[in-house]
Amino acid sequence: MNPRNKVARGRFALLEALKNRDKTWNALAPRYGVSNPNPPWKSSLIAMCDCLDAGGALPVLDRRHAEDELADSVYSDIPEPERQLLALAHTMLSRGLITESDLANRMRAVRARLEAV
Amino acid sequence: MPRSKPPEKSQPSAGKARFKVGDRVRVRDLPNLFYSRTQMYVRGIVGTIAACTYQDVIPEDEAFNRDGRLEQYYIVRFRQKDLWPEYPFDNDTLQTESPERWLEPVDG
Amino acid sequence: MSHAHTPGNGGADHPAAPMVEEITDFEVLEIAVRELAIEHGLFTAEDHRRFTEWAESIGPAAGSRLVAKAWTDPAFKARLLEDAVKACKEIGIDWAEPTGFGTPSDYMNLRVLEDTPTLHHVIVCTLCSCYPRPLLGMSPEWYRTTNYRRRLVRWPRQVLAEFGLILPPEVEVRVEDSNQKCRFMVLPVRPEGTENWTEEQLAEIVTRDCMIGVALPRPGRTADVHPMHKARRPVKGQAHSGEVAHESKK
Repeated sequence: MNPRNKVARGRFALLEALKNRDKTWNALAPRYGVSNPNPPWKSSLIAMCDCLDAGGALPVLDRRHAEDELADSVYSDIPEPERQLLALAHTMLSRGLITESDLANRMRAVRARLEAV
Repeated sequence: MPRSKPPEKSQPSAGKARFKVGDRVRVRDLPNLFYSRTQMYVRGIVGTIAACTYQDVIPEDEAFNRDGRLEQYYIVRFRQKDLWPEYPFDNDTLQTESPERWLEPVDG
Repeated sequence: MSHAHTPGNGGADHPAAPMVEEITDFEVLEIAVRELAIEHGLFTAEDHRRFTEWAESIGPAAGSRLVAKAWTDPAFKARLLEDAVKACKEIGIDWAEPTGFGTPSDYMNLRVLEDTPTLHHVIVCTLCSCYPRPLLGMSPEWYRTTNYRRRLVRWPRQVLAEFGLILPPEVEVRVEDSNQKCRFMVLPVRPEGTENWTEEQLAEIVTRDCMIGVALPRPGRTADVHPMHKARRPVKGQAHSGEVAHESKK
């Protein structure tokens, strides 16, 4: 099967572990009394999608088709924009643009960095 | 190189557009390559040229034989009644955009 | 931008704005994916920063100003219908940003769809949810769902009715499926009851949903209200306890 048509099947344990509705902006913002409807990282996510398309690493139609499938299945319970973020990570893992172990390691390092401040 | 870059001036122009506003055209049903931008729901349907938009190269997801030439793009207007079985409203229409190679002329 | 780890505004007398006081896995994931992508050469940090700044600069106010100006200035409206990208520059919007030749999703081919009393436009992108971001900002979540994209082309009046918009059968409902590089915005009919209004007053009633075509502008309607979120602690000043009416920006 042409890899570009490949359905983004399967699940990634790393991403499955992140599927927590309580930690989405939808849930957190009202809890903290924050009126901004978007998390601060949303614009960065949008920019990342634009950049991946611009450079050819992940063309927009490919990404959106995968996102549509994943939004209706694996991540259907997660609201936006977390769902788009998870779908993006999932698609990049599926295509081998990044690896699950690299991502897990980097997430640990990033969290440690942020919590050290 | 960002794909939003406009066509290089050195690329061969499409020349005269094949169709003009008001022409009746049918959307061809070409073989799909990757995710085509020509939707299934307009394939084989007759519409009317509503506008000539711009000239651009055929993108990768649109054709096997990409030769780097500029091609005329059009907005084509369809009656909803022609697109969908038993569409109940006579006046409703739908427009979508198509490169020239996906269109063929219809007489009359 | 509210980050849990941002230092407080030491020295200021006013209380800091509320922030989400935790570092979520989602925040961490976004950073991690981005850093790995940059390290693998999928894009540069410089390009990402430029696109992020651009993403933060856009919003629907520009589109509202455009419509208000077209309503009050017939010569501008003619220029807008003739060459929309060029006309946008008159209100300070440059479709060439941020690269000099547009973004990989918005391009530089805007077309304004003029409504009349007998013609109503509504916009969709069935393929991927393309949207005129330089004028309207980020697309709303509902616009990106397969539910909207698949159904609008097939059952436009049903979908519009779900947004509260019902049009008589003699009005032509024209769906514009933006499947290539043209981007579209609806120029609604100026509603009655707005005679002698200033451009600012007019812009207030031209909401994002009006420029997509799922709502009609009218006096008094200054927000697109979608499913209400119930807040456990309502934002101060809200009239309705327990509910926050979001401007649907998601």
